[in-house]
Amino acid sequence: MVRFSRVLLKDAGVAIDKTLSEILVCPLSKQPLRFCEKTKSLVSDTIGVSFPIKDGIPCLVPKDGKILEEESDASKA
Amino acid sequence: MRRINSLYGRIGFLRRVPENSTKQSHNTFLASLSFSTDGAYGGGGGGEQNSSRVKIFDRDLKRIHRDRAAWLSRHKTDTFVDAVAENLLDRLEDCKKSFPSALCLGGSLGAVKRLLRGRGGIEKLTMMDTSYDMIKSCRDAQDDSHDNSIETSYLVGDEEFLPIKESSVDLIISSLGLHWTNDLPGSMIQCKLALKPDGLFLAAILGGETLKELRIACTLAHMEREGGISPRLSPLAQVRDAGNLLTRAGFSLPGVDVDEYVVKYKSALDLIEHLRAMGETNALLQRNKILNRETALATAAIYESMFATEDGTIPATFQVIYMTGWREHSSHPEAKRRGSATVSFTDLQKQFGGQS
Repeated sequence: MVRFSRVLLKDAGVAIDKTLSEILVCPLSKQPLRFCEKTKSLVSDTIGVSFPIKDGIPCLVPKDGKILEEESDASKA
Repeated sequence: MRRINSLYGRIGFLRRVPENSTKQSHNTFLASLSFSTDGAYGGGGGGEQNSSRVKIFDRDLKRIHRDRAAWLSRHKTDTFVDAVAENLLDRLEDCKKSFPSALCLGGSLGAVKRLLRGRGGIEKLTMMDTSYDMIKSCRDAQDDSHDNSIETSYLVGDEEFLPIKESSVDLIISSLGLHWTNDLPGSMIQCKLALKPDGLFLAAILGGETLKELRIACTLAHMEREGGISPRLSPLAQVRDAGNLLTRAGFSLPGVDVDEYVVKYKSALDLIEHLRAMGETNALLQRNKILNRETALATAAIYESMFATEDGTIPATFQVIYMTGWREHSSHPEAKRRGSATVSFTDLQKQFGGQS
């Protein structure tokens, strides 16, 4: 089971574990996160912050979060 | 942007790159650390609002320390850290319950993972730490050992801002990690909320007696050489506070116990190396960033002269406080309300006594 998810990580390089996606929420607002395909990051829509995923490991430290620009493609992303 | 202003501008410190930066630049923001308990759970419990907003520890520096510790302790096993982790994990064997999903918060992650050995019936383990390098080295260690019986996922996160959904894990373990949080009650409250009902919280933190010899030696050396002292050891919890912390966080059936470990080193500098390898070096905001060579040598000399044992090694005390708590569940015994007794002591005496 673990080997399968590791293979997935190596190929996709960015997808996250299924277990993680079930229990992760935004560290600041505690609202669910959305995986954004375009920027390969986890986006918290309530506060407009995106958290990077480095090598399959999501980095949900508030300091690592990037404030999303208020643009039309940010809202589509 | 305006949304963030309204949400954080009131309660916290917001730092952003100026508006004329290019699209490629990163806008990072630093929210107040008290956000963890302010309204994040819909104002759950009025008592939780008055968490301290004082920042004692520099969390960013702590991340850097832990990155360095990840590299320093890559191939070495640390007996002290292993002993603490072993003690903590032993408590899992005392529980009849099994914990399918578990979360391991910073501190000595590698030791917990390595010594788990299938205790507690854990099937899914999530490892979380503030330092990316520490998580990487944990993952690499797992790849090397080819031990795939437990499904492990890795995550970088802050213990003060737990990114875990409510009621989603059965067990939270934190071995020697929580004594670096600025808001320990807040972190424990978030841990409690992340636990499923009848979930277990196990933590080991360093207590007030830790490194008392080092504290004395540092103070004396500083007074002699520099005529003043600056804080070199972080404020650590006392045993009596641990019980209060657990009750304040709302855990039921709290349990606290203390253990003292005396570790012997060949010299005072070995002690410092060990602390670096554990990521336990000074990260107080009020620390003196300069350390005179003279003062450092004086500290080592005083330590050796005051505390050395007969065989020339020097001891260092580590007091570890183990805390256990459960998330409330209907099966837990609770004290009955005052005045609701149905049997009196005289009845009990008649039933069971009769000798006196």
